[in-house]
Amino acid sequence: MGSTRASPRGVRYFLSEGAQAFRRNGLMSLAAVTTTVVTLLALGAALIVASTLEYIARQLESQVQAVVYVKDGLSGAAVDAVRARLASLPGVTGVVYVSKGEALDRLRKTLGSDVYMRDVLARNPLPASFVVDADRPDRLDGIAAAARRLPGVETATYGGSTAVRLLALTRMVRLGGAAVGAALALVALVIIASTIRLTVFARRAEIEVMRLVGATAWFIRWPFVIEGAITGACGAAVAFAAVAGLYALVVHGARDSLPFLPLPGPEQVALSLSWKLMAWGIVIGVVGSLLAVRRYLRA
Amino acid sequence: MEPRRSRNVTARAAVPPGVPGAVPEDGETAARARGDGAAGRAGVAVEPLPPGVPEPAPEVAAIEFDRVSKTYPNGVVAVRDVSLSIAPGEFVFIVGPTGTGKSTLMKMIYREELPTSGRVLVDGRDVTRLPARHVPFLRRRVGVVFQDFKLLPRRTARENVAFALEVTGVPSREVPRRVADVLEVVGLAGRADALPGEMSAGEQQRVSIARALVHRPPLLLADEPTGNLDPDTSWEIMQLLSQINLRATTVVVTTHDKMVVDVLRRRVIALDAGAVVRDQRRGRYGG
Repeated sequence: MGSTRASPRGVRYFLSEGAQAFRRNGLMSLAAVTTTVVTLLALGAALIVASTLEYIARQLESQVQAVVYVKDGLSGAAVDAVRARLASLPGVTGVVYVSKGEALDRLRKTLGSDVYMRDVLARNPLPASFVVDADRPDRLDGIAAAARRLPGVETATYGGSTAVRLLALTRMVRLGGAAVGAALALVALVIIASTIRLTVFARRAEIEVMRLVGATAWFIRWPFVIEGAITGACGAAVAFAAVAGLYALVVHGARDSLPFLPLPGPEQVALSLSWKLMAWGIVIGVVGSLLAVRRYLRA
Repeated sequence: MEPRRSRNVTARAAVPPGVPGAVPEDGETAARARGDGAAGRAGVAVEPLPPGVPEPAPEVAAIEFDRVSKTYPNGVVAVRDVSLSIAPGEFVFIVGPTGTGKSTLMKMIYREELPTSGRVLVDGRDVTRLPARHVPFLRRRVGVVFQDFKLLPRRTARENVAFALEVTGVPSREVPRRVADVLEVVGLAGRADALPGEMSAGEQQRVSIARALVHRPPLLLADEPTGNLDPDTSWEIMQLLSQINLRATTVVVTTHDKMVVDVLRRRVIALDAGAVVRDQRRGRYGG
């Protein structure tokens, strides 16, 4: 840690030296930025997919409702019997019947008023169902299992069962993203280090003199660290624009075709993505630059 | 990999470097600083001082080698059991054939190389135990001049000298004056805006001397400073180094320049195969 680091003249010197070197290295800088972009694209995509899946899973999980579908053509008395049995299950706080007609109306509402189901479909394919409210989400598993055994019941589902599968998928996406990201980050690191080594080599005479006249190791390192940080930040900016733009497009499209899907908003996603990608980009750039100067600074 | 001694930081090494007038830690150091033990142990005759010449300051040696040996990783033994002491304000020639460890000896003073064994004390502080982060501060107190000048070709004389101040965080308002002063000292006030390529070899060496002096170091090392210069220019450079010595700077010069050594009659330390073979108060090149 050098005493010179705090001097404002020093800071300007480091920034201009770092920026100059970045420009002077031209094609190599471009290669380094591109590798960083690819790395962070993979990382960003994995982050978005994982966080979207998790968002959906959490939404489902938080629902304290199970849906019990009844068989088609059940009589009114049979429906009442099922309702009574459901209401008596432990943890059940409410049972609401949704007829085939109501189910179709609800679907139409979520899909938007301009869709006319009756024009498309000859007959209503939706089953009648009971929406069962529970006092706690963890009761739903038992309620669904008991409901499935009732006569006249087709099947029973609840959000949590889907959520469990989605969360498992989320974990896999995260793990996969981390593995691919780590491998790519290693490549980016090596390329950034090689690029900055060009600068180190071009400036070896200056480095030698600096060491000789008593410049501290950090004073010598800073311009290279800044060159690395610029490389990483450029890569992060491009990757962020690509991933965030793509996600905004996807969400926009999904709102038209899959309006019932709960997706996190693009602004919210962009916000959390921006600093994560920027942080990773800069970390990769800085570590690469430190690798590049290490040999030249060994006392 | 360079051989390193124990890494533990002693109380002495922890003292911030660059503090002038370091106090010897024990009587032993002070005794060695007089040079009475060092040369005698190596079995080298020291010429008695002529009457009237004062003994070197008895406090702390500017430089002290204490049984220093250096073997490079490739097995070359550059320095063999060297013990010597240079008092503050001395002017010393180190002479000897090429490859006898003169440069290695110099490098160990400013911690470019570490000895394989033994201690190197600068201002009473063992630089072999100096933590790496303190080395830059040692170098601000030890000016170094080389045969090949090591100037930055795209900077003017003024900028080359200013560079040494800028990269060590000297406030910018102090830089122009200090650079002008030191260019004056080396006789280059009128050539401040010349690039190294536009200057003669002698002028370039003056720039490099100015750069070495701009931190006002108490110690100046010159490793073959006239190796690339013609005899007249060499003589000028040596005279400049003598003048610098008169301003109370300790000067150590390695050289092959027999004429200069024989005319100046300063202390001469002769090395052969890495060992001190002669140490004379008012010596000649050939003994």
